Amino acid sequence: MYPFQFESAASEQDAIALLGANPDARFLAGGTTLVDLMKHDVERPARVVDINQLSLTTVEEIDGGGLRIGAMVRNSDLANHPLVRERYPVLSQALLAGASPQLRNMATTGGNLLQRARCQYFRDVANACNKREPGSGCSALHGINRIHAVLGTSEQCIATHPSDMAVALAALDAIVRVRGAGGERTIPLVDFHLMPHDRPDRETRLEHGELIVSVDVPPLPFAKRSLYIKVRDRASYAFTLASAAVALDVRDGVIRAARIALGGVATKPWRVPDAESALENTSADGAAFGRAAELALSGAVAREHNAFKIELAKRTLIRALTRAAAIA
Amino acid sequence: MHDLRTAGATPPFPAAPPPPTAGDPAPDFELVANGTATRLSSLRGSPVVLVLHNPEWDPARREQIDAFNRLLASLPAAAEQRLITVGAAHPWLELEFDTSRVALPVIRDDDGSIAQAYGVHDTPAVFVIDERGIVRWTHMGRTPPREGDIIAALTSFAARDEPRSSSWNRREFIATVLGVAASLTISPRLAVAERIAAASTAPGAARAVTLNVNGRQLRLTLEPRVSLLDALREYAGLTGTKKGCDHGQCGACTVHVDGRRTLSCLTFAMMHEGQQITTIEGLAASAGTSGNTLHPMQQAFIKHDGFQCGYCTPGQIMSASAMIHEPWGAADSDVREAMSGNICRCGAYPGIVAAIQEVRANAADGEHGQ
Ligand SMILES: Cc1cc2nc3c(=O)[nH]c(=O)nc-3n(C[C@H](O)[C@H](O)[C@H](O)COP(=O)(O)OP(=O)(O)OC[C@H]3O[C@@H](n4cnc5c(N)ncnc54)[C@H](O)[C@@H]3O)c2cc1C
Ligand code: SF4
Ligand code: FES
Ligand code: FES
Repeated sequence: MYPFQFESAASEQDAIALLGANPDARFLAGGTTLVDLMKHDVERPARVVDINQLSLTTVEEIDGGGLRIGAMVRNSDLANHPLVRERYPVLSQALLAGASPQLRNMATTGGNLLQRARCQYFRDVANACNKREPGSGCSALHGINRIHAVLGTSEQCIATHPSDMAVALAALDAIVRVRGAGGERTIPLVDFHLMPHDRPDRETRLEHGELIVSVDVPPLPFAKRSLYIKVRDRASYAFTLASAAVALDVRDGVIRAARIALGGVATKPWRVPDAESALENTSADGAAFGRAAELALSGAVAREHNAFKIELAKRTLIRALTRAAAIA
Repeated sequence: MHDLRTAGATPPFPAAPPPPTAGDPAPDFELVANGTATRLSSLRGSPVVLVLHNPEWDPARREQIDAFNRLLASLPAAAEQRLITVGAAHPWLELEFDTSRVALPVIRDDDGSIAQAYGVHDTPAVFVIDERGIVRWTHMGRTPPREGDIIAALTSFAARDEPRSSSWNRREFIATVLGVAASLTISPRLAVAERIAAASTAPGAARAVTLNVNGRQLRLTLEPRVSLLDALREYAGLTGTKKGCDHGQCGACTVHVDGRRTLSCLTFAMMHEGQQITTIEGLAASAGTSGNTLHPMQQAFIKHDGFQCGYCTPGQIMSASAMIHEPWGAADSDVREAMSGNICRCGAYPGIVAAIQEVRANAADGEHGQ
């Protein structure tokens, strides 16, 4: 690992100043992405700013039923928080489907949003990768791309966004609150991550020196009827191949509103508004769910090894919708 | 691991040349492949210190670098000194001597051709090459050179009664070595040398860190990049915690930090000053058991054959002993999910689940009985 300067931030302002002063600096939260990638020489920060002393560790109620989740709330604490379990089961389930208990004890809300691609070529500096080294090429395009994305890809990068939590937050219309030297601003989660286009190295709208302070989840009463289904190569402790976060407002067998986001198949947490509106005012049955699934995957582009994901994602979504409709 | 020359063994084909000695021209080599042909000979006009070391030389392992620390300590230089080293394992090294640090850009010698040209096999070696490309001083072998040896070699630069351009005092020597490091940055793969040259103080210097491990205050001198796992194993001598993958994928390194199970391989030791760290060595005591009595989870693992080779076991037991205080369901399948972060290559899973279920049942009985 390359040596680096270690700083511990005492306050948010301190953290922002310490980071902003050095273009090669990184915040260090749980470390489960950053330390891993530093060991691979993928990340080579000259300065690491530890933000574990910051008091962004609470889950608070906001605007009549919503929650403000501090950026440093650990994934395990968030998953097991009574209000999250009660109001947003999809979020709790997505968190518990991610990583392992030890990793969830370490991983934070902010860090989870900013975790980086699991593409094997990105993680190995011996390979060309536009995300790691812009302009060097994408080894996955004609390499082994079984785990790669079918939605939102470009000819420059086809890596999936690996987060489970972010998929649930996308379905819940969460808002990311960030603070920089110039003050605070908010970014809707669905706009927070960027598709690769011709700049796969740019992954989010966060600017250098900006600190995520919280993620706000607005009230959504029917999110009580929400869930997350994740399909992977083994029963646990594996990244998603296809996943679906859904929430359904069903009254008298008729869908009033739907929230759908997909994971494991797209270059960012993938909200599918077309599929949602197609479900509105239809009866909650298999035919409607099938149509929604077709719409959700309609733009999919398969590569050599990942065509199976298109069918897998459709079936995952249909199963998720079927189960959500069955929740009393 | 042996030195072919001193062992007198027949060198493998093709025969390696003998190492150059003082007065020989330094064998030339390409500093970096990859298109840009920077050759050692192009650095004429600057003295070069060439350090070759073994690929497995790991700067995180203090005892391995001791010889080099002592060697470097005898160099006439301060913290800003820059050397060039040739090695395979690490692109960047930083060594400590006295109170200062030396930053060394490392040239990769993946095919061993540089070592071959210098007749070096499986042993650290140092060559001081003068500004005309003549080897002035060499040192080979695992024992550090005697103090003063290398200083004598270096000061011989200054002592020579030669034209101004080729005589050196210590100050100039240091300045020029710095210049060499900078000149290496013309090759893109050595862009790191630029960063080294730019940094006014070496980043990542070691400092005193106090860790509370198993109820004891341990004062260690650690670089920021030392993981909690390496701090425990390599610096504190607590080797019960295992390194499996070193990347968060196996759970062998699980310890408790303030009672929460944590992967010690994915966190830096420096982040945990002021926290209570418990390792397998301290688990029994942390549960209040005294003397030689094991923690109930350790006893249950033995009773239920919760291991075969034992490598994953410390991590399994640390994970299990924290898991029983977390909100999990009662079924075996819940235990398997809760323990999915600990991989066992021997497949001792049935015994592990049985052990945990027994401890949970006993704990529940204990509570009900009170
Ligand atoms: C073996 C393994 C398996 C995994 N499996 C899964 C899985 O199945 N599903 C899943 O979703 N995830 C999985 N993960 C990823 C894990 O969830 C992330 O690594 C974790 O959430 C990152 O959070 P962190 O706090 O550790 O981030 P860090 O590593 O500390 O930081 C990550 C990045 O975010 C930046 N950052 C952190 N906090 C802030 C902030 N507040 N403001 C601005 N920038 C910030 C850091 O600078 C860094 O660039 C897995 C990880 C491992 C190692
Ligand atoms: S898919 Fe993206 S991350 Fe993977 S090699 Fe291509 S550019 Fe790099
Ligand atoms: S060594 Fe830490 S998880 Fe494998
Ligand atoms: S007992 Fe051998 S790896 Fe688990």
